Amino acid sequence: MLILQALGFGVVSAALIAIGAMGFTLQFGLTNVLNISYGGVMTVGAFAAFGAGELHLPMALEVAAAPLAAALLTWLLGRTLFAFYARRGAGVFEMVMVTLAVSLILQYGIDAASGEQIYRFSFPQGASLHAGVFTFTVTQLVLVALALAVFGGLEFLLRRTRLGKALRAMAVEPRLARTCGIPTGKIVNVVWLLSGALAGLAGLGYVINSLTIDASVGTGFLPLVLAAAILGRAGSTRGAVLAALLLGLVTEEVAAAGGAEYSTVAGFGILAIVLLTRPAALAGQATAKAEITV
Amino acid sequence: MSPGPVLDVRNVSVRFGGVAAVRDVSLQLRDREVVGLIGPNGAGKSSLLGALGGQIAVASGQVLLGGQDITAAPPYRRARLGVARTFQHTSTFDGLTVYENLLVSALGAQGSGLRGSLAGGRARRQRLAVAAEATWSRLREFELADMADRYGAELSGGQRRLVEIMRCLMRSPRVLLLDEPMVGVAPHLVQRIQADCARIRDSGVAVIIVEHALEVVEAVCDRVVVMASGQVVAQASYAEAMSSGAVREAYFA
Amino acid sequence: MSFYASTLIVYFFVDVLLAWALNLQFGWGGIPNFALIMFQAAGAYAAAVVSLGPDTGVNSFQRYVFGASLPFPLPLVIAALTGGLLAAVAGSFSLRRMRRDYQAAILLIVSLIAIQVVSNAVGLLNGSNGLTGVPRPLSGLLSGLTYDGYQWVYAAWAGAIALAVYLLVARLGRSTWGRALRAVRDDEDAAATIGLNPLGLRMQAFVLGGVIAGLSGGLLVEFLAAWSPAAWGYAETFAVFTAIILGGVGNIWGVALGTLLVQVIFLQVPTFLPQVGYTGLIDALQWVLIGTLWLVCLAIRPRGLIPARRYHAVPPAPGPGTGNPR
Repeated sequence: MLILQALGFGVVSAALIAIGAMGFTLQFGLTNVLNISYGGVMTVGAFAAFGAGELHLPMALEVAAAPLAAALLTWLLGRTLFAFYARRGAGVFEMVMVTLAVSLILQYGIDAASGEQIYRFSFPQGASLHAGVFTFTVTQLVLVALALAVFGGLEFLLRRTRLGKALRAMAVEPRLARTCGIPTGKIVNVVWLLSGALAGLAGLGYVINSLTIDASVGTGFLPLVLAAAILGRAGSTRGAVLAALLLGLVTEEVAAAGGAEYSTVAGFGILAIVLLTRPAALAGQATAKAEITV
Repeated sequence: MSPGPVLDVRNVSVRFGGVAAVRDVSLQLRDREVVGLIGPNGAGKSSLLGALGGQIAVASGQVLLGGQDITAAPPYRRARLGVARTFQHTSTFDGLTVYENLLVSALGAQGSGLRGSLAGGRARRQRLAVAAEATWSRLREFELADMADRYGAELSGGQRRLVEIMRCLMRSPRVLLLDEPMVGVAPHLVQRIQADCARIRDSGVAVIIVEHALEVVEAVCDRVVVMASGQVVAQASYAEAMSSGAVREAYFA
Repeated sequence: MSFYASTLIVYFFVDVLLAWALNLQFGWGGIPNFALIMFQAAGAYAAAVVSLGPDTGVNSFQRYVFGASLPFPLPLVIAALTGGLLAAVAGSFSLRRMRRDYQAAILLIVSLIAIQVVSNAVGLLNGSNGLTGVPRPLSGLLSGLTYDGYQWVYAAWAGAIALAVYLLVARLGRSTWGRALRAVRDDEDAAATIGLNPLGLRMQAFVLGGVIAGLSGGLLVEFLAAWSPAAWGYAETFAVFTAIILGGVGNIWGVALGTLLVQVIFLQVPTFLPQVGYTGLIDALQWVLIGTLWLVCLAIRPRGLIPARRYHAVPPAPGPGTGNPR
């Protein structure tokens, strides 16, 4: 019974992880920057919505504030700071350190500005709907639908549109794409904005679901998002969604069966198993110098 | 004199996912022989080299070194048995000096023991002295002694290639695999490396060279192996292979 | 004043141990150990539980496993061993051939998740409240000393350990093993082609670093008498990276200088200044500044204040029979 109910929670968790992981993997696949500051950006998105709520802005604006603020911030970071270090020849590891620094600055900057408080995040949850043993609130269903919509939208963008095809080409062969006259600058802009918007949505979804907000929500949520993106292979939205589903279901099942404290451990366990049994999944480009495109 | 081939490749296949990069390749390499491995892009030359060096897993077939089956041995174990190789990409140790690049190779596994390197001892100091001596004489031989203290990162493309080849030679290998050694090398250094190849062969090493520059192949190789779509299509002397049309077919088929 | 000074000196020695551990793993081994602080924490918890005495049961104010009252210096030994053991476990899946940014991310995830486990599983190491009341070593034997005097004795003890570890890492750095490790760092495939076992060398460096980090944790917890998840966030690991990169990766003295600047002067000294704003404001702003410091440091001095020393090879004196006439 409990186990079955947990499947429902698992789907909601998976939806949140998936939104975050799709944004992460899209950006990582194209730019080759393993962007740790993504967690901080999720927090910024959540706080933008929180701030709009505190100002009693209409709900539509409150919801829109998260992706807008996060997209703008990500674009600015990518185009100024990350681009600066990439131009100076920073390798993949140096870029991780740069994004980690940004993550610290964001997290503790918000921490200082918010007075290190945990706030209640009030958001209408809507009526509870029952279907068999499952209980969902309307808001939870909206989150799941949102994840599906994002997935469908990204798949359409990547596979059916000119922009998406150019983007995929660029992710594989950036140098060739540039010489073929693909507008790489424009594509990078789109990717930063899009992944930022998804980070903001994921952050917002996370606090809507948990009902509280503080400066560490995004960095706390990041491990699951990162794990999903890594499991699903960089750049693959489908992989990210499948991995998110797996992680969401397993973490909620474990939480239901053995206690919440072990839920993330289980998620990590999956990652470890995959690493041990399928090292080839991560071996790609181990020595080849991955080109950073920002 | 030599009883059998030093390297015996028997029906080796390499697959990446569903794609067969190398199909049922057999070839033999004898002491003091330089074999050129040629063929168009995508023919499977580098994959075959990877299968010999251990970087790429073999799907089926066997690789024998001096009669010993090394098909399943990881790269470092093959290296200890006498297989040395260079890579298509530059692979100098950039944070080590030229001298250290060679010294670390001369010591090899002997130098990498943790307990041994902490304990010291006379035998160890002696080994170090021998390796240092060998390194200096190699540097003088290649006229690079005045670059001993340069970091790998501070070298030109051609100098890096030389260091990579020298690094292999510090191992006193039985088999040397060179993957496009002339790429990015200045013309005067190409001459040098060519001459060095002959010298290496004469010192008793068997060499396989993957090379696109056919004039280089002609100059240094005793024999060529022509590959196309993962298979060996001809094995002959350079002149024979050229006149038979096998090469032209491989490139333009 | 004397109290502050002795405290800062202990912090410096503890932090320099951690920095040398990272220098060994990252500076020479190329392993981006974003879980570094977890190994220090493992040592700290291990030393704490084996000196706190047995857990007294449900009514106790703190719960933990493996409680014991081992005499000095066994808790430190166990701290070091625990750090090494944890490194062997973490290394078993994170040291395989993979992109370095992936490796960093995986180790970061391991560290973040370890914190969540320890925080939430209260019976394990008393959850987010952490452990307190860890007895100071030899306090019975040294009971004749004033509190201040004990502090200085402890600082000297920490210094002695740091000296011993210095001798070890300096020797490792100069050794042929150290050179082989750096070769693996620079190009794993090429290192294998000269007969070096990349995974084996990396594992040795990782475990040795884990031992040193665990030791530093034991040393710190016996001084502080308390340890909790708040002490080992990912930011702490980042501070060590900033310290060694600012000082000069690969150079033991550079790493020590970076530790002095970042860990002691920048992070610890302000805690003795008068309070500004609400509790924690200074802490938060410090981390913002550390992040900024790293960005600036990478932009203007990527090789550090004291870069790794270039090995100077001395040619043998030319004599009969040596050298090549050509």
